[in-house]
Amino acid sequence: MPEGMHMNDQDLDHILSRENAGHDIVPSSGFVSSVMDAVHHEAATPPPLPFPWKRALPGLIASLALAMVMIVSVVRFGVHTASQLVPAPSTSRFSAQLFGTLTHVFDASVQMGAGWVLLALLLSLVTVRLSMRLAGVKF
Amino acid sequence: MSYTMRHALGASRNQSEDQSDVEKVLSGDIAAFEGIVRRWQGPLINLAYRFCRDRARAEDMAQEAFLRAYRGLAKWRRDAAFSTWLFALATNLYCSELRRIPTGMMSLDEIAEPRDFRAMDGGLEEEDRDQAVRRAVDALPQKYREALILFYFQEMDVPAAAQSLGLPAGTVKARLFRGRQLLRSKLPTLLGARSLQEEICPKECT
Repeated sequence: MPEGMHMNDQDLDHILSRENAGHDIVPSSGFVSSVMDAVHHEAATPPPLPFPWKRALPGLIASLALAMVMIVSVVRFGVHTASQLVPAPSTSRFSAQLFGTLTHVFDASVQMGAGWVLLALLLSLVTVRLSMRLAGVKF
Repeated sequence: MSYTMRHALGASRNQSEDQSDVEKVLSGDIAAFEGIVRRWQGPLINLAYRFCRDRARAEDMAQEAFLRAYRGLAKWRRDAAFSTWLFALATNLYCSELRRIPTGMMSLDEIAEPRDFRAMDGGLEEEDRDQAVRRAVDALPQKYREALILFYFQEMDVPAAAQSLGLPAGTVKARLFRGRQLLRSKLPTLLGARSLQEEICPKECT
């Protein structure tokens, strides 16, 4: 077959089938024992501990409930704020009300100790990043 | 002996032995798994070798396949032959293993240029030709290579290959077609004119 001529499926089948003949490799002598060692090791290893759903369930339900309460509170606060802002006739009044609301939120946050919470979160983030960097793990 | 021949010759005997060994293992006799390993070590290692072309890695991959088979033995549904289930599991593992750590392969364009000067004046010798064919198959994109390996080198038919790859038979047929197309376009250049003529048309043709 001159170069450039088309090879048909039969030609290809013939070549590939021939290529296959006599190319089987023989497993090494220790293969079976190596597999059986691994199987025995696997069998001797105790099964992984199942996740303690029963113990975790109350905590999970409490967390879910808290998250729901928070979401509902945020939505209600947002709706309340929006209803106060909608009838505003001018931009200056809108700005004043927005500033007032923000100030109110800020005051409430300070009273609740949000600064400390924020500081704790930042500190945790820095600690985690530092330890990951020291361990050579990249984000 | 190829997969299909072995499959055909010893299918019923192997199947009953496999089933008996599986029952024993599931009832707690771990040593019975050795029978399964002895019967299927050759086919599984060779299948792995077709994928990675590295003997040591092939044995590692086959060992992992046997371990997974051991872990999932209870999941084998008796409606399919044990060997079909085992090959599907092994093929799946080998494919994902090679996607994770591919073999050192060249592109089809790289291998199309014959490096051996004998190719310039009449074709490669038999060993070189075999290597060239192997390299051409190895250089195919993985999805076509998987289908070709199971169909030609493991001598599975399309439904068996489809079952092993977890794909519809139509998809496997399409991949075989495309893989053949790619090989057809590259092999004549790769093998050299005279060598290919000898390969395709034996002495009585000339």
